[in-house]
Amino acid sequence: MTTVAESSLGLPQKRSGLGHWLAGFRAMLRWEVTNMRLLLPITMMVQLLSGAGLVIGFGLLISDMPQQTALFLSTGAVVITLILVGVVMGPQLVAQQKMDGSYDFMWALPVPRSASTVAWLVLNVFIALPGMLGALFVAMWRYDVSFAVSWLVVPAILLTLICGTLLGYAMAHSIPRPEITQLVSQFLIFAIFGFSPISYPAENLPGWLAELHEYLPFAQMANMVRDALTDGIATNVGRSYSVVAVWTLFAVGLSGLVLGRRK
Amino acid sequence: MAEDWVFRTVDVSKRYGDTVANDRISLAVRPGEVYGLLGPNGAGKSTLVKQIIGLLKPDSGAITLGPFDLVDDPDAARQLCSYLPQAQMPIDSFKIREAVHITGRIRGGDDGEVRRRGDELIDALQIGEWADTLGARLSGGVRRLTGFIMATVWPGKIVILDEPTNDVDPLRRRLLWEQVRQLGALGAAVILVTHNVMEAEKSVDRLAVINEGRLIAEGTPSSLKAEDRGRLRLELMLEPGAPTPELPEFVLHDARVGNNLVMVIDEASATAGIEWSQRMMDGARAEEYALAATTLEDVYIRLTGHASEEPL
Repeated sequence: MTTVAESSLGLPQKRSGLGHWLAGFRAMLRWEVTNMRLLLPITMMVQLLSGAGLVIGFGLLISDMPQQTALFLSTGAVVITLILVGVVMGPQLVAQQKMDGSYDFMWALPVPRSASTVAWLVLNVFIALPGMLGALFVAMWRYDVSFAVSWLVVPAILLTLICGTLLGYAMAHSIPRPEITQLVSQFLIFAIFGFSPISYPAENLPGWLAELHEYLPFAQMANMVRDALTDGIATNVGRSYSVVAVWTLFAVGLSGLVLGRRK
Repeated sequence: MAEDWVFRTVDVSKRYGDTVANDRISLAVRPGEVYGLLGPNGAGKSTLVKQIIGLLKPDSGAITLGPFDLVDDPDAARQLCSYLPQAQMPIDSFKIREAVHITGRIRGGDDGEVRRRGDELIDALQIGEWADTLGARLSGGVRRLTGFIMATVWPGKIVILDEPTNDVDPLRRRLLWEQVRQLGALGAAVILVTHNVMEAEKSVDRLAVINEGRLIAEGTPSSLKAEDRGRLRLELMLEPGAPTPELPEFVLHDARVGNNLVMVIDEASATAGIEWSQRMMDGARAEEYALAATTLEDVYIRLTGHASEEPL
């Protein structure tokens, strides 16, 4: 007959503090990694192929590619793969949880919301890396360009990933109907690919849209990452960091609000 | 000491727009007690449960467990309550043992203790042969049992089980109920959400019936059946698709599930009931009938106007 230690029942003391947070973070990271394990190799492969594919695809559009253009396009491809991880994968997964009914179980687990969120961010970083590296290596091989990687690559990429992931995350949690989440996520792919000056200059857009992108995060993310990977292509980078930082803070706040909210 | 940990809801109300999902629900569950929450779909059971585990906030009313106010402190609610939702657990990529171990750790269990108790439960529910099989390859019943173990490997002071026996085979249902009783023996307050009245009758200490957001009856199964003493259940299996016949006056109340017509009559009307049923069969309007003692199901029909979802 099964027995259980009396101490395991309920709460002699409510758990809180850093130890509780870290234990929750570790357990949730293990949960997320295990949960993704059937899909993780495929997801990373798709990331790798889309990063590489974007770079090769740009080359098909422009036959004799000048070096500067190649650098511009391939750094754009890096940023697109980074953003897509955040605004696509998180929302899809949350929508899936809402549809199969596991959402309530996951969010009733006794883990601090911030620990679950950080575990999710860490997983996203690992999923995004192959696509990013793929784009860079294919660009070096295909267009014979060389990148000037500065230490800023770490904050630029992390900030881009955190901002994109949290925006996707907050969006997915705040939209009650999973079907709508998936539609919005698809709209974002379309808007980011087609109408964000990530792999082309903002001047190519109508004036009002170019102006808008001064305040939206996507073009600014591209500017940050481009600055960290190349010499002399990106300008006004400090402003880009500020814009993305504000968006990141907004995404952190929004995630906190949405995840802490009880209707 | 045990009395300190009584779980209480006091006048809990919750509205969605114009719909009143919970209307001043008050109930109390003692440690060690298995408490049934019965009601038809949409009665407000899930809304109540989601408020207990801190996913929804009541419009008014209190939810407390011992010294903890679960409305003000949803973190405490999540630590105190173990929850098995009605939907299947998301464990396609998990082996049973992994899913159990990780959730035990998430619930704050000690590594070795979680492994030990997890293995004991896997043995007790006789699903050991799949312990290292991925969830995607498990049958619905084994997944359900895995969910039960995940929810109870490191139980909270309240354990909420929403339809725990769905898809589970009869043999393992029995084993599962034994484990539910064990949770009670450990001192957990077990809240069993179900619309399977027959199962609840056998396994709960007390139960509440919720209908249209209100708690309409509460008591032990036998106290709830007291009013039906001296009554019988008359069940008539109608010809498929046949309309419900006009009922004789001696039928006290009735409900229809599919082609099954369930009625309650006084013992004194037994002969009349049999004769009437016989006539229905002779007229090819019914296939068979049965007369039996009333069960909790009949109480449930009387209270809610619904038969429980699973026809008997």
